[in-house]
Amino acid sequence: MNWSSLLASHGLLLSGLVKTIYLSVLAIIASTVLGAFVGFLRAARVPGLSLILRLYVEFFRGSPLLVQLLFIYFGAAYIGLSGITTFIGALVGLTLYEGAIASEIFRAGVEAVPRAQREAAKVLGLGRWTTSVHVVLPQALKVILPGLIGQEISLVKDTSLAAVIGFPELVNQSQAVISNINQPMLVLLAAGVLYFIICYPMSIGARILEKRRAS
Amino acid sequence: MIVQATDIHKSFAGTPVLKGVTVGVELGEVVVLIGASGSGKSTLLRIIANLETADRGTLEVCGTNIVDGRTSTPFNGRVGMVFQQFNLFPHLTALRNVTLALTRVKKLRKAEAEEVAMAALSKVGLGERGKAYPRELSGGQQQRVAIARALAMEPEVILFDEATSALDPELVGEVTGVMRDLADQGMTMVIVTHEMGFARRASDRVLFMNDGKILEEGPPDQIFQRPQEERTRQFLHQVLDA
Amino acid sequence: MNPTSDTWAEVFAYMPQFLSGLRITVEVSVIAFICSLFLGIVGAAARRSKHLAARLAATVYVEAFRNTPLLLQVFIAYFGLPAIGLPISAFQAGTGALAVNAGAYLTEIIRGGIEAVPQGQYDATHVLALSRLDAFTHVVLPQAVRNVYPPIINQFIQILLGSSLLSAIALPELTGVSETVNSITLRTMQVFAVALVLYLVVSNAISLLASLVGRYAFRPPLETRADSGSFRRWTQAVTARIPSRGKLAEAGEGGGDS
Repeated sequence: MNWSSLLASHGLLLSGLVKTIYLSVLAIIASTVLGAFVGFLRAARVPGLSLILRLYVEFFRGSPLLVQLLFIYFGAAYIGLSGITTFIGALVGLTLYEGAIASEIFRAGVEAVPRAQREAAKVLGLGRWTTSVHVVLPQALKVILPGLIGQEISLVKDTSLAAVIGFPELVNQSQAVISNINQPMLVLLAAGVLYFIICYPMSIGARILEKRRAS
Repeated sequence: MIVQATDIHKSFAGTPVLKGVTVGVELGEVVVLIGASGSGKSTLLRIIANLETADRGTLEVCGTNIVDGRTSTPFNGRVGMVFQQFNLFPHLTALRNVTLALTRVKKLRKAEAEEVAMAALSKVGLGERGKAYPRELSGGQQQRVAIARALAMEPEVILFDEATSALDPELVGEVTGVMRDLADQGMTMVIVTHEMGFARRASDRVLFMNDGKILEEGPPDQIFQRPQEERTRQFLHQVLDA
Repeated sequence: MNPTSDTWAEVFAYMPQFLSGLRITVEVSVIAFICSLFLGIVGAAARRSKHLAARLAATVYVEAFRNTPLLLQVFIAYFGLPAIGLPISAFQAGTGALAVNAGAYLTEIIRGGIEAVPQGQYDATHVLALSRLDAFTHVVLPQAVRNVYPPIINQFIQILLGSSLLSAIALPELTGVSETVNSITLRTMQVFAVALVLYLVVSNAISLLASLVGRYAFRPPLETRADSGSFRRWTQAVTARIPSRGKLAEAGEGGGDS
């Protein structure tokens, strides 16, 4: 195991890590917003929207993220859309996919709040908006938050798929380093450690939140 | 003496729950434990059932000295127990709930076991519902199946841990009715309950527990009408005048 | 640019290749799933074991494989292992990585399913004097199986979708075949659309089938009806009625890498 060459390549790995974090953060924000939007709309049973939203969710959950990325990135070039970089392709793909999954978490959170809560609010004369924001949402968030964090952990791991379409995130850069120094095990394990350092604390956080909610 | 518990002490996580309890139960006696939540009633019952181990004190049940805790099952169903949450096996029919232990523990053949089970179910008024699953039965019916399940093992004593506390009020009667029948037929019973009316009518002896000790004991009339201790009076006042 | 029926026909001409890719996808997934079940059962037992070494080993296994990307694990298997002296084919590496990855999730799912059986059930078996073996076989296990059935089916679907990553190590499963057909016909949208539809059909078919099997095999039916389309909803409904919902939810949701 040649540690010195690994250390020498740390620049490439770190740049990959930075790109991974960058893509993750943006995708988390975008997918959470999208997921909340879709999830809340589905929970509210807005007529006319439920079918199309359901199709969106079932489509993205029932097919592999990788194929979706290939479809979006190479498909964009195919239909003549220029300027779609690997970053944009990855971001759009991740947002749509993780947004679909996140929407289920949001929807389940809202539906977990007992109907009796809304009835109590209604009897007190609270309007729909007040009820939703001040009564339902806080209780829904308690259910949503742990699941959402689990979701974000998955998202960080899923950014690795952007490697396949050439985005220079951590896994992609690991491959570059391997082609330089030919120490596949060492490099890949190093990348693994870096992912672990990001994801494991998030796991612990989610678990703590879950415990607090249960008590 | 079916049950003889002497100077039982039990703590959970450093908090003492039983602080020296001595109880004896004779054959055929119906003993009722009353008291506020946290007074240790359920814990005492669970120790008698060998579901918990006492920290200190001796316990003799059906002639067997309980030494070790949960891992040994010296009773083979001779100590029956009916739980607040019924604890029926949800994936089995009522009949199978009753026959499971009969076949696996008492080693009865299937036909024999079903006969015994049907008799027990009939005794609690559910002879027709053997094929039903617990979720298809009302709370009162489920609890009666639980009683049948305990009965079928031919226990020497049956313990009831707040058997009606989880039931809707209108269903309590069907369960206490069965319990009264059992008492009339001479079954030895130790009952933890909040149903004071039932306690008065059905028991031979009432024990009032407070803060981990037995504060007062005596025949039902004495405890309910002429309680000696102030705490007993307070408790009864709260519970009966609610 | 208008996709004409000609372009679709061009792509559909490769349907045999797509289907053979799909066959490999299913093959890999089934093998990985079966292996992962073994790993999950052993892992769950280890996590609940009295021995610290077993618990530690299982915990390290679970945390390592759930906090790193599947793609990385696939690469470690395919590129890393040969480099340290273990020659391995793409099929073996891919299936193995899928199995070990899923095994980590299944460990938690199975553990959660067992721990979700309420203590009262154990109390009842105790007073009825059922032996530990009888209690486990007749009371705990049937309930645990009902608890874990939906999340386990979901995990299989995750394996199936995750097998798409094996295209990155040149395994000719469905995604790999699609990339090949794309490089030949250059009808990118149509090619990947076909792939997406095939995955959708298979994953939904499995969901539906599993739901029907579940309804039939687990009588009495669980308190909630299995929705044919949405296993996640059944999972949530089942987990919602269990007191320690957290364990199953954590294990079952996000139950895999894509």
